[in-house]
Amino acid sequence: MKFTITRDNLQQGLASVAASIPTRTTLPVLSNILIEADGAGVRMSGTDLDIAVSLQVAADVEEEGALTVPAKKLQELARELPENPVRISTKADRFELACGRASFKLNGMPRDEFPTFPAVDFHDAWKLSGQVLSTLIHQTSFAVSTEESRPILNGVLWQLGDREMRMVATNGHRLAVMKQAVNFPGAGRVDLIIPPKALAQVERLFAGGEEIEVGRSENHLGFRQGGTRIFTRLIEGPYPNYEQVIPKDNDKHADADKAGLIQALRRMSVVASEQTHRVRLSFNPGLLRFSVESPDLGEAREELEIDYQGEPLDIGFNAAYLLEVLRYIPTAEVHLTFKAPERAATLEPVRPEGESGPDYLCLVMPLRLLE
Amino acid sequence: MLTRTEQIPQALQSMPRRIHVLPDTLANQIAAGEVVERPASVVKELVENALDAAATRIEVSIQNGGKTEIRVADDGCGMGRDDALLALDRYATSKIARPEDLKGVRTLGFRGEALPSIASVSRLTLETAEPGSVGTRVRVAGGRVLGAEDCARQTGTTVLVQSLFFNVPARAKFLKGAGVETRGIVDILSTLALANLSSAFLLQSNGRTLLELPAAVDLPTRVADLWGDEIARRFISVQLQREGVSVAGLVERPDVVSPTPRRAHLFVGGRPFRDRFLIAALDRAYRTTIVQGLRPSALIYLDVPAGAVDVNVHPSKAEVRFRDRDLVEGTVEAAVREGLAGLDSAATLDATPAMPQIRRLTTEPRGGGVPDNQLAFFVAGARRGEPPPDEDAAAGGAVVPLDEAVAADAVPEPEGPPSLWQLHDTYILAESRSGLLLIDQHSAHERILYEQLMRGFGSTPHGPDGVRPEAESGSVAAAAVGEDGEDEVDVGRSGGVASQRLLFPLTLRLSPAEYTVVEDAMVLLRRAGFEMEPFGGRTVIVHAAPQPHPYFSPERCLRDMLAELAGGSELTRAARNQHERIAMTFACKGAIKAGQRLSPREMQELFDRLFATELPYHDVHGRPTVVRLSLQELERRFGRT
Ligand SMILES: Nc1ncnc2c1ncn2[C@@H]1O[C@H](COP(=O)(O)OP(=O)(O)O)[C@@H](O)[C@H]1O
Ligand SMILES: [Mg+2]
Repeated sequence: MKFTITRDNLQQGLASVAASIPTRTTLPVLSNILIEADGAGVRMSGTDLDIAVSLQVAADVEEEGALTVPAKKLQELARELPENPVRISTKADRFELACGRASFKLNGMPRDEFPTFPAVDFHDAWKLSGQVLSTLIHQTSFAVSTEESRPILNGVLWQLGDREMRMVATNGHRLAVMKQAVNFPGAGRVDLIIPPKALAQVERLFAGGEEIEVGRSENHLGFRQGGTRIFTRLIEGPYPNYEQVIPKDNDKHADADKAGLIQALRRMSVVASEQTHRVRLSFNPGLLRFSVESPDLGEAREELEIDYQGEPLDIGFNAAYLLEVLRYIPTAEVHLTFKAPERAATLEPVRPEGESGPDYLCLVMPLRLLE
Repeated sequence: MLTRTEQIPQALQSMPRRIHVLPDTLANQIAAGEVVERPASVVKELVENALDAAATRIEVSIQNGGKTEIRVADDGCGMGRDDALLALDRYATSKIARPEDLKGVRTLGFRGEALPSIASVSRLTLETAEPGSVGTRVRVAGGRVLGAEDCARQTGTTVLVQSLFFNVPARAKFLKGAGVETRGIVDILSTLALANLSSAFLLQSNGRTLLELPAAVDLPTRVADLWGDEIARRFISVQLQREGVSVAGLVERPDVVSPTPRRAHLFVGGRPFRDRFLIAALDRAYRTTIVQGLRPSALIYLDVPAGAVDVNVHPSKAEVRFRDRDLVEGTVEAAVREGLAGLDSAATLDATPAMPQIRRLTTEPRGGGVPDNQLAFFVAGARRGEPPPDEDAAAGGAVVPLDEAVAADAVPEPEGPPSLWQLHDTYILAESRSGLLLIDQHSAHERILYEQLMRGFGSTPHGPDGVRPEAESGSVAAAAVGEDGEDEVDVGRSGGVASQRLLFPLTLRLSPAEYTVVEDAMVLLRRAGFEMEPFGGRTVIVHAAPQPHPYFSPERCLRDMLAELAGGSELTRAARNQHERIAMTFACKGAIKAGQRLSPREMQELFDRLFATELPYHDVHGRPTVVRLSLQELERRFGRT
């Protein structure tokens, strides 16, 4: 293998792939990056066996070939190189790099030790805007569970239908769902459960407006756009019936200023218990009262004017959950609904007159309150 | 005693007189039955006399287990001739004169019984001399004084007891072999040595030295001289003063408590005594820090105000009676528990752990006005019956002021957050001022959750109100719950047990035994944060669960808890009541697991919360949460010393 590449292309290629390379691994070849050179240019790939990222970078290929090289070292090296063309070649398992008056030799490993990528069929691929998909990912995947006993909840649900797609994530305490109109005539409904780590790569590499293709095989999903591909393992379902738990009969409605809410909650959090982050919200006509009582630390109180006309309601929450959800509400004003102190609360954006956007709803389960 | 003759019935008055006063020798022999049982009791009485005489060096030598000969020589104040003869009379004592003296008696002897009793059952030679005067030798056989003569002697007293029980064959028959009797003498002398640090002791048997104890600067030194350096390093020191009762002593570090027989010694006012209730209080203090059923060793020194203890209730003074027994037991338990909260109670990797550090006495704010004379037992130069040493003397030498010894190390690195390092996703390493701490993340979190839930239940994790009769626990809990099951415990104030509503309620099918547990413990489980209801058959629905950490699985925790509660385990059997059982199993099943990667923030929070618990160094199974490694040990290993 022999090619010449600009320093920037090398850096950019390595940076795109690096995030899929595990920092600690029992399989040494996984900490390497696969570099392949052929007529089309140079392809760089990395994987942690759950997801794989592969991308094409422009290069002047003199001799085809492939080798895997320690990713971290190569990336560190590329970062330090002067802005000169980089000449790369291999001698057996030895990787050689020359740039300006510097030259380096790194020990690589042959390509056949590197895992092969899943065969994903892009023939009947869904085609959609990378930007739309990234918004869905961004607004929902924060809500996935970190706890490992229910692997389903460690994934993000992506529901694709003929006219609408949705993305849903929850840890069983709070939930985020976003809907987007699409046009996939005759595609039927498909439920995919995807590791958030893969979606983070999608969001990172495909955030632009270009159309991306999404193809699937039995257990894998592939995203591609131009020379860049992301493959991921799918989590086996079924996903819990989230629609059933989204309250339809919440009869208490409030509109509040998001920034005001966030600031008050952040202040409350300082005094709230480290473990439960428990804060009490008391809704009264026109006024929301916050309070926190922490046995070791002390108390905190605050008031915020809000638009609320319902009966007085006292409800407890994990302030961290509320703050997190509020951070993702895309508008300056937020609409909250409640039913009772032990029932789910919902938060939705309030879009200014004439503005429209995808349907977005977050749901937070309360913490039990004292009398 | 009758005082008026008219009360004596006619019949008795007409009877011939049969009552007569026993001759002294016989009376003394009867008294000897109570005071002098074995050679060891002779040694005890004679050595106590030497100590009462302010001896600084006491030499005991025995032949044939003391059956043939016991010699006790001291350098105490000695006696003049008249006193030497008087001392052999019954009820002759220099130590008390009036009934009220008994209340505050600080000498070991006071009944004036020992010398005549011993003399009545042996051939006894007393040699004694007061400072600057000629000595006296008195010889007695079977209680009869054979004669008194001058002899040359330095100040002090030597009592030679030969042929014990030569004139009471019935008693001689009950003596054991020389080996057993010798062991008895070693034990009694050891006990006296533990109570009298500033005197030197020597014990020789058939010319061989069994104990050689120089005057000790502090208790750990005496323990090291007596039982060896390695044993001394197994102890930690405890101190507490509460409402006039002061407790000080050494107790065994939980990680080295083993199933071998324990060494337990109790002293009050420097006087050894037995008391199984105090030993039980000691064992209570160790709860959760050692495996259930192990018996920790301890040396406990009590001091109580004059009149708060009666030492005159037992013939050999082996037992005492406290006026306020609950206070004494409570103070012992609290003192030991406080000791078990310190860093020195943590398990250690050191091959040679530090000697126990004697600290200045902790005085509770509401402590009584009794002087801090407990130090008498720890610091050289202080003697029983003498005023306690002043503060400065106490702070010097081996005594480390409390705030330096404890505060310096208990919470590591006061200047900033210690850098924490996770090892194999299981242990957290932290730097402390004296070296390195290895924290087991699971055990540490167990301790945190256990104490938190016990507080949530309204019981202190270790205090006496944790002791609740089994039957009561249900009703106490039930009383806190309204009719409609609205057991809204004040989660804010009750230590942070909170219950997160679940979006997808859990449905659990249970075994019959597990279902019974849920039915019995429903109220407590709810207060632990598990809100559930029966759902027909043996199925329950869980609507809300606690959330002790971000990786917590309510389903797994609850299932594991119910399985253990239904099946029983060492842990559930160790619990005293349902509160503890629930808290222990919740802690055990709900705590962060080994193998869980933690962020620096999470480690820091775990660390901070661990050191905010009552017993940060011990989990609830009797295992350590922290193992420490000292700089001294590292220096030794790297050859820096
Ligand atoms: N080793 C000794 N040195 C000085 N005085 C002694 C010694 N042994 C005994 N005595 C004196 O003899 C008295 C009687 O001793 P004893 O019969 O043991 O009675 P008690 O110790 O109860 O007073 C003591 O009160 C003490 O005055
Ligand atoms: Mg005596």
